[in-house]
Amino acid sequence: MKKNTALAFVFVAPALLFLLAVLGWPLVQAVIFSFEDIGIIGSQGHFVGFANYAAVLGGMHFWSALGRSVVWVVGNAVVQTVLALGTALVLNQKFPGLRVARVWVILTWIVPTVVVVIIWRWLLSTSGGMINPLLMEAGIISRPIGFFATRRSAMVALILINSWRWFPFTALMMLAGLTRIPGDLYEAARIDGANARRRFTRITWPLLRPTLVVLGVIGTLLSFNVFDVIWLMTAGGPSQATETLPVLIYETAFKGYRLSEAATISVLTSVVLMSFAVLATRAMTASEAGR
Amino acid sequence: MKRTLAQSLALYAGIFLLVLIIGLPFWWVVTGSIKLPQEIIQRLPTMAPHSFTLQHFRKLLQSSDFPVYLLNSIMVALFSMIVTIVLALPAAYAFFRMAFPGRNLLYRLILVAYAFPGIVVLIPLYGLFARVGLVDSRASLVIVNVALALPFSIWMMRSFLGSVPREIEEAAVIDGAPATTILLRIMMPLIAPGIASVAIFAFISSWTEYLFASVLIVSDARRTIPVGFAGMIGQYQIDWGLLLAGATAATLPVVILFALVGRWFVSGLTEGAVK
Repeated sequence: MKKNTALAFVFVAPALLFLLAVLGWPLVQAVIFSFEDIGIIGSQGHFVGFANYAAVLGGMHFWSALGRSVVWVVGNAVVQTVLALGTALVLNQKFPGLRVARVWVILTWIVPTVVVVIIWRWLLSTSGGMINPLLMEAGIISRPIGFFATRRSAMVALILINSWRWFPFTALMMLAGLTRIPGDLYEAARIDGANARRRFTRITWPLLRPTLVVLGVIGTLLSFNVFDVIWLMTAGGPSQATETLPVLIYETAFKGYRLSEAATISVLTSVVLMSFAVLATRAMTASEAGR
Repeated sequence: MKRTLAQSLALYAGIFLLVLIIGLPFWWVVTGSIKLPQEIIQRLPTMAPHSFTLQHFRKLLQSSDFPVYLLNSIMVALFSMIVTIVLALPAAYAFFRMAFPGRNLLYRLILVAYAFPGIVVLIPLYGLFARVGLVDSRASLVIVNVALALPFSIWMMRSFLGSVPREIEEAAVIDGAPATTILLRIMMPLIAPGIASVAIFAFISSWTEYLFASVLIVSDARRTIPVGFAGMIGQYQIDWGLLLAGATAATLPVVILFALVGRWFVSGLTEGAVK
């Protein structure tokens, strides 16, 4: 048995050391950077204590970006949950072409973000495009809508586009939860005369809830981290309306050349995310224990 | 199970909506890439192409850097895929088939790594790569992509490893086979679908990675599609034909890969219990 333990460590070590070197060590360095005054990448910094933290927390940028990140995460969670749940329910039924549908539903998630960006830039374009001409032809609007022209519509459009990319992935994860609900439960409920809505509210929903909660936590973290769609679509505009925390970090480091400030914001961001993860996990285990 | 008429209607309405939401944008892009420029920008868009031309693809392949980006992307994705499998497989085996002290803690640590914002490590990582002369190399992208794909890959192996009956292993142990032999000769063929889905995941996440590629790669000759192609959006006077052709070409490799082994990946996702 002793020999086996050693072997297990040999198996785990390469992956673990790799992650420590590529993610763990840089993370430690980010913390160090946040206490220095580095400007351009590669330049030497001096220890400045909590000066960066005071500046970031005392200024407006961090807080407004955090607010936009919250809007972004909540918006994505709502839109994706609705779309994904509907999709998972459909994919849990039997119909001709089901196998094909289960594989290809994820098409939006396997293409590079830049392709997603080009698709939607083109479809939503104000000169030409697809959506605007169709809406105009149908007589719904008289002039093209500039989806990325106003602060609110830019955020809404981005949330919809990102959800379009991610909801199939979420749907497949939900499908995993759905397929594990035993079919006899529905059969028994049917014999007892429960209609479709009752079967959903009394069987599907309660049994799917743990899956939804786990997905909610993972999905929140994942959509919080989204950078490329926002950056390529609006670069945080118009007038910072879509500048979430990842975009702010990128801007500060690579456009503003204030590396230490960017490191400070990323450390604060990590603290926010980790506290959310810890609290959510604790709430999850608590509600499970209460069952 | 028989459905009532209303349920059937709801189901087919759902299927129709899905096809519309997911399929239609891709249909417009792919058909757009073979339309003549005047048809692409005409006031009332056409559903099916009325014209046919390969001029956009010709321009893409002959007078843009797209072929270079494509080649770089394929190379980086293939290497990322191989390294991810080599690292994920033994780790997953140890996590889900062996007992050792600290297992749960280490496993949780790896799960945390998955949800961690990549942008946090980007800045220090750039410094580290600069010190060892890896900035502006495709190797740096492979290293990053493996690190980003590894946690989820290990997690995804869980259901595949779990489905192999313990008795098979135990029989081999009794026969005196060493653990490495058990992994390579007995487990490997049984978990081939799992390996396929890890391969797809690693390939796709490398194929779509933008953030690190945009900072770590400096010269145009080493750019991958996400960054190189994004640069083309502004570089030309918005040439939609060219961009649509590029979007089609950038989609094709992952579609081919998915057509071959996509069902394993989907089963890896849907059977890999969310827990």
